[in-house]
Amino acid sequence: MSSVTTMPGAPESGGKASNLITRIENELRELWKPPEDPTAPPLSRVCTMNIEVVAPTKELLERYTPVIDEVTASIPARAILASIEPDSAAEEVTGSATVVCSLAGGKKICSERISLGFHGNASARAASAIEAFLVPEIPTALVWLGRVHTDDPVFEDLARNTSRIILDSEYTSISSVIHVAAWARSQRHAPEISDLAWTRIAAWQELLARFFDDAETRPLASKITRIVLKQAGETGARIGPESALMLGWIGTRLGWKTSRLAGALRFKREDGAAVTIELDAVPRPKGVAPHTLAALMIEAGDDPHAPALRGSIERELASGLTDQANTTPDADVIDWKCTRAGGAEIEQRIRLGPNKAAKWLERTLHRPLRDVAFAESVAFAEHIVEDGLTVS
Amino acid sequence: MTTPCANPLRRGLIEDRTGDPCAVVIFGASGDLTRRKLLPAIYNLALSRSLPSGFAVVGVARRAKTAAQFSAEMKEGVAQFSRRKPIDPALWTDFERGLGYVQGSFDDPSTYKKLSAHLDELDNERGTRKNRLYYLAVPPSEFATIVANLKQAELVADPIAERSGGPWTRIIIEKPFGHDLESSRQLNDCIASAFAETQVFRIDHYLGKETVQNLLVFRFANSLFEPIWSREHVDNVQITVAEEIGVEGRGKFFEQTGVTKDIVENHLLQLLSLTAMEPPISLSADAVRDEKVKVLRSLRRMEPTMIRENVVRGQYGRGFIKGEEVLAYREEPDIAKDSKVETYVAMKVLVDNWRWGGVPFYIRAGKRLPRKVTEIAIQFKQVPHSLFAAPDGGISPNVLTVRVQPDEGIALRFTTKEPGNATILRDVAMDFRYGSAFGSNTPEAYERLLLDAIRGDATLFTRRDEVEEQWAFIDPVIEAWRGQASAPPGYPAGTWGPEQADDLLARDGRRWRRP
Repeated sequence: MSSVTTMPGAPESGGKASNLITRIENELRELWKPPEDPTAPPLSRVCTMNIEVVAPTKELLERYTPVIDEVTASIPARAILASIEPDSAAEEVTGSATVVCSLAGGKKICSERISLGFHGNASARAASAIEAFLVPEIPTALVWLGRVHTDDPVFEDLARNTSRIILDSEYTSISSVIHVAAWARSQRHAPEISDLAWTRIAAWQELLARFFDDAETRPLASKITRIVLKQAGETGARIGPESALMLGWIGTRLGWKTSRLAGALRFKREDGAAVTIELDAVPRPKGVAPHTLAALMIEAGDDPHAPALRGSIERELASGLTDQANTTPDADVIDWKCTRAGGAEIEQRIRLGPNKAAKWLERTLHRPLRDVAFAESVAFAEHIVEDGLTVS
Repeated sequence: MTTPCANPLRRGLIEDRTGDPCAVVIFGASGDLTRRKLLPAIYNLALSRSLPSGFAVVGVARRAKTAAQFSAEMKEGVAQFSRRKPIDPALWTDFERGLGYVQGSFDDPSTYKKLSAHLDELDNERGTRKNRLYYLAVPPSEFATIVANLKQAELVADPIAERSGGPWTRIIIEKPFGHDLESSRQLNDCIASAFAETQVFRIDHYLGKETVQNLLVFRFANSLFEPIWSREHVDNVQITVAEEIGVEGRGKFFEQTGVTKDIVENHLLQLLSLTAMEPPISLSADAVRDEKVKVLRSLRRMEPTMIRENVVRGQYGRGFIKGEEVLAYREEPDIAKDSKVETYVAMKVLVDNWRWGGVPFYIRAGKRLPRKVTEIAIQFKQVPHSLFAAPDGGISPNVLTVRVQPDEGIALRFTTKEPGNATILRDVAMDFRYGSAFGSNTPEAYERLLLDAIRGDATLFTRRDEVEEQWAFIDPVIEAWRGQASAPPGYPAGTWGPEQADDLLARDGRRWRRP
């Protein structure tokens, strides 16, 4: 386990953007100077990528800063964090540089964090200022917090020079992700789009696939008759991004089609048979995000009344270890069960990965850039979201 | 049999291959390897959700104990040796439901009857689907007995039926794979009497290390290095496997093997073959191993004269490791006072093929050397003409170093100008370290290798012909030493080996790197 320490440079100050950039570059040079005390351990500067984070307010950016510090402790990077507030009365750019170090295996591994604030009309220059700090020849990821508009010139300029745009549809919406994905397709050198909600359901995808790994059950994948999804929240709520993406993923992998019956959404398998989809709610414990996927049950076989396979994946919400702030940042436990007609029930208890923002971002950064399944699933999920599938 | 992409829901998943449900049966379950390495590795696979849904572990050993006692021992082992601590109680409860123990002697057929009955139960209760992975964590002297009894008890699946989707059986064996070519052939014949080669997984834990796997990626996924990876540009290659430790309670074993059989015959020759191999046509197990075995076949066999000139052995005397005085080899427990066993060996090896003709591979392995390090260093040729005055004897050649352990990584040494008005040259290194760039929590070699065996991927395991080629190369060296009356030259513990090893390179106008 590594602990994060910071060595701030000069306090944040404002001024002309070009002066600020020069000053921050000088600060970084100072921070990397060998220590005057010859006995002090040298710092190892490591940089494997640029991470740009853009937030609509300084407060949001400050809340997200510890997340980035934790990520750079395991993925050493130059982090450039910017709040952009065009409606602010002042017209200025502020900034500071900090070295963020973590101890791993007795070694001090350090990353750089550059924090910038763009106010008033200076916001229009945000992209060019941020780009001035990018380390060349390494990948750049843009984490966009808050609502995203593809006609926003700051977004456009930054997005064009990144390899990956990371959104969280839990906080924006599936529609925003769809919108950004469409924008990316129209670009000559399109960045890849990632969604933290997609990363959060990766373990669910793998667990669902397990039901059909066995040669005997594999044909049943094309004979799913019923799926029940449960999400944290209240009855009557709309389907959340995790459930929608999960359904989108299942549908696209299995060649399902959607259709309408008197306006209502219907799911059909590749062979034309109907699939029943139910969306239920479970109580949302404190600290659990709304719409968190809580359970998934499937039935498959030729006879919907006597399924050949029943499977369930149930997450014990907030069962992760509780920390001092009384939240459960650690991984929740999942019960995976599979019953075949005439066979014994196979059961496994599995722990999901740590349930905290830094870990989701870290895992997203570790995923392959191009993910065809994501693009297809988002498109499929669009129908589900448009239809407004609600919790019964 | 693995089922890549056959499951439509696996298509596009990062982990698109999963192992089939199976039972892992560990023979020698009371031993240290099980407690220190195997169970912690399996537990970590469970933590990372890498195990198949139907899974169980069965320990087989002579000692009488209940399943509960076995489970408690394993829990203690996992608590102590797992890379991820502490034990997760929620998962352990589930994990230990799949742990079983069968007590019995390996030469007693009734042991296998009990095992068979237990495995049948697991098929019903844990859904292990009649798939078996046997792990022989026992001395090689037990292999023949276990293999024969498994066959006798009909606990080995038909490999032809396996290919058409029937239940599978695999067997993992630990080195040493024999003690010379003849015994290695006998051992392989014995295993082949019950198992097809496709069912045999010979484990060399070095091949499970990240850097070793990365060597293939480094060579064949970068266009920069492969074109200069040949006699045209490479002056020499140095491969070092150095250990600080002495024999550490393994005196009896080491007296039988020496460092040549313990390290050079397997780990070192595997590193050499991965370094020198041609690009495989694919990453399939046999495509990679075909190329490795071609390198082993290309090694120039050592004639007696050549052995005298190109091989140096040594034995450590008293000395200092990290400031602490340590005993001489002959003073260690279970070591003969007049032992002639080598604790150090250095060789100049030639690879007689188109790519490497004339490029010496200097390999060395030793105990009680100044530090623990395993590395492969590719030393490139000098520039053809030096434009710069280099008062200290010339411009240093570029060196590319692949560090296998510790601090796994890759470093490239090159020459730069020191800032200032004068042209002063200085060597600098671009240094990539896995731990710094990707975090240090990488899986243990045993995790990767066990998972590969469960998945049926034999790429990182040694094939029969590789083992036999390795022995065919080493045997003449051992044979030549057998006839020598004198003991190996001594070297003080904490130094880089005997002076003769330096002479070996000095004769070629070269010197060893100081890793």
